Amino acid sequence: MDKKFIPKITVFHCINAFSEASWSSVGRDDFEIKFIKLPCSSMVKDVFLLRAFEAGADGVVVLVCPEGQCRYVEGNIRAKKRVAWVQNLLDDIGIGGRRLSLSNMAARDTAAATQIIDDALKNLAELGPNPAA
Amino acid sequence: MIVAEQKPLSEIKEIIAPYKKILILGCGTCVKTCFAGGEDEVAVLASALRLACKKDGKEIEIEELTIERQCEDEFIRESAPAISRNQGVLSLACGAGVQALARRFAKTPVLPGVNTTFIGVLERQGIFTEECSGCGNCRLDIFGGICPVTRCAKKLLNGPCGGSQNGKCEINPETDCAWQLIIDRLKALGQMDNLRRYIPPKNWRTSLSGGPRKLVREDHII
Repeated sequence: MDKKFIPKITVFHCINAFSEASWSSVGRDDFEIKFIKLPCSSMVKDVFLLRAFEAGADGVVVLVCPEGQCRYVEGNIRAKKRVAWVQNLLDDIGIGGRRLSLSNMAARDTAAATQIIDDALKNLAELGPNPAA
Repeated sequence: MIVAEQKPLSEIKEIIAPYKKILILGCGTCVKTCFAGGEDEVAVLASALRLACKKDGKEIEIEELTIERQCEDEFIRESAPAISRNQGVLSLACGAGVQALARRFAKTPVLPGVNTTFIGVLERQGIFTEECSGCGNCRLDIFGGICPVTRCAKKLLNGPCGGSQNGKCEINPETDCAWQLIIDRLKALGQMDNLRRYIPPKNWRTSLSGGPRKLVREDHII
């Protein structure tokens, strides 16, 4: 019998959009999650996203501030463009751009963060494990 | 600067297919500025290739290095130890860099990872435009610093063709009419009299049309 798929998610987040301290996955053992905090989402370079997949992530989520509310004016827009570029690259690689997503979220909106992670998990249930992990 | 664009991943995969150990060599000058072959692009390409090969079940070892300039021996020398450890080099430099490496390392295949496109400028962040054709006989003094050889679709030297509309080229409405720009600039400089000068047909022997060119500076040869 096949081993049950436990998805691994890496979350890159702006410290102004999300705090790991507010996150709780207590009682959930159906996925593994790793948080990487950044002073601004624009600090997420293309290669960081790719290396997360190299390190075994099945999916990568980038959490950014709502548009128009970036402390550094356009950081979240830069992150959005970069994520779109890497999604295309992941399609070219053949592991699928849908494994990477970006979401805007208001500061400390834990319910929104939970929903975003749940959506990513649903997506991964469909896509299966990272074929390059 | 020389502007280049990274080749599609599928083409790069095909180019490196015969090799199991490869060095991706970046160049820290022109191609870095146009986001085609600097240190960041080397890292992204290496990661993308590792993922693609792993997904396809192919074994590959990729080493990464970026040197200041691939078109000068003095800098190329720094890459010699890394090149000797690999079966091939995927160069992210312009065509001159690829050839300079190939000349120096006779027994190592040097493969192009970018398409060299033109000599240009950074118009604004993320937009590069061609502004020089390297024709070998610059007359920007007459044209107010705007090159009709490169920027006029018809390469006209004695005034506009008459087909431009609203300052845009009739060949491509997204391109500024070079002659509109020249006239505006000469007006601003008070040099409209330049346009009374007849420019004879251009002698293209100084351009690439005259064959590959060489510049010799005797005063620097020892």
